[in-house]
Amino acid sequence: MNTSLCEVRNVHHTYGSRTVLDIDSFYIKPGSITGITGPNGCGKSTLLRMLAFLEKPDRGVVLFNGAEHDIRPNPVHREVCLLGQEPYLLKRSVRANVGYGLNVRNTDDIEPRIREALHMVGLDADDFLRRMWHELSGGETQRVALAARLVLRPKLLLLDEPTANLDEKSSTTIRTAVEQIRKTDGTSLVIVSHDLRWLRSICSPLIIMERGEMVETA
Amino acid sequence: MDFLLHGFFQAFHLLWTGDPETYSAIWTTVLVSTMSMAASLLIGIPLGFSLGINDFKGKKILRTLVDTLLSFPTVVIGLLVYAFLSRQGPLGDFGILFTLPGVAVGQTILGLPIIIALTATAVETLDKRLKPTLTTLGATPRQMLFTTILEARHSLMLAAMAAYGRIVSEVGISMMVGGNIKWHTRTITTAIALETGKGEFSVGIALGIVLMVVALGVNMCVSGLRKRAR
Repeated sequence: MNTSLCEVRNVHHTYGSRTVLDIDSFYIKPGSITGITGPNGCGKSTLLRMLAFLEKPDRGVVLFNGAEHDIRPNPVHREVCLLGQEPYLLKRSVRANVGYGLNVRNTDDIEPRIREALHMVGLDADDFLRRMWHELSGGETQRVALAARLVLRPKLLLLDEPTANLDEKSSTTIRTAVEQIRKTDGTSLVIVSHDLRWLRSICSPLIIMERGEMVETA
Repeated sequence: MDFLLHGFFQAFHLLWTGDPETYSAIWTTVLVSTMSMAASLLIGIPLGFSLGINDFKGKKILRTLVDTLLSFPTVVIGLLVYAFLSRQGPLGDFGILFTLPGVAVGQTILGLPIIIALTATAVETLDKRLKPTLTTLGATPRQMLFTTILEARHSLMLAAMAAYGRIVSEVGISMMVGGNIKWHTRTITTAIALETGKGEFSVGIALGIVLMVVALGVNMCVSGLRKRAR
């Protein structure tokens, strides 16, 4: 019986003549935190976009819950959520940004969930809720964008360099938030980072990629 | 120079005392420009949005055509609309030649390329991360459309202001299609042309002042929005 939440089979992808992904087989188990690391341009971000159903591979399939999905907006995008390397915030307040995904789902009790998500990423809700997108620093933008994903409690959360703009203390906060969402909501995570020490502290398995291939699993 | 100075004093007198002819032209201008702006926005924003967001064969040709129409002379639009709305024209049965709706049709044609071109540009220049962000946050295509419009709101208002500036200051369409009929289709610009021709500078200057105040207001809004859009 197949128990994987997400599966990548024989995926091959190129940009022009350059092969960016060449993966025979890759599984994500429910409730796991998978770490991916590797040099720049080895295909980590491309893999995340494919797992998020934002990009289709030239060859091969990506399955979520055993089925293929379209890259046009569809219900799978309410279960799989990606935080990109340079997250985009809507030209609105922090409250509107964190609550956006809940609003499009017509969720009740939005306010306490927004506050909880901001608390998880180490931001004081009373201080930040009314702030506009342009009043945030790089690290705060990163954390607000992460809160906007955590608040959705997705089945699969994909994080691309979530600690890139953060200091040591904030990185620890993010690690705690990631562990908490996995524990309380059963969310599976795939985290791409260059910070090997941070990845080791939280991820299992840890995959090393090179030139589009998964060369080592620890 | 005395006649100009006299014109200025007369202008303030006419505006201050509420001269009915002057205010009729102002009211007509407000009414017809509101009609044409509403139509331009309703038709232009969806068309501009489609042009900006979709990639299709012939897009570049269409963009070039729309950009060319930005500088379409108002008298040519007036001539074409007149030809279509006149009794022997294909739309003559509607009987809207020499009426405000007729002028509004012409001014809508004038404003449309501006709204379409600037909306398309606004959508094209939106941050490339917006679409994947909205997708991954679970927005439906309809929710994405509304959010994208909201994200481009400052640029869209800029487009509306630019179109309004062109519509409110045109004279060719109003003169040819409206016929410059006193109390009915006489707008600020056609009244200025007529009164100046008659040597009545004071009314012309009074209306000119109103037009310049409107233009100044529009410009100030545009500058403010430009700053916010950055």
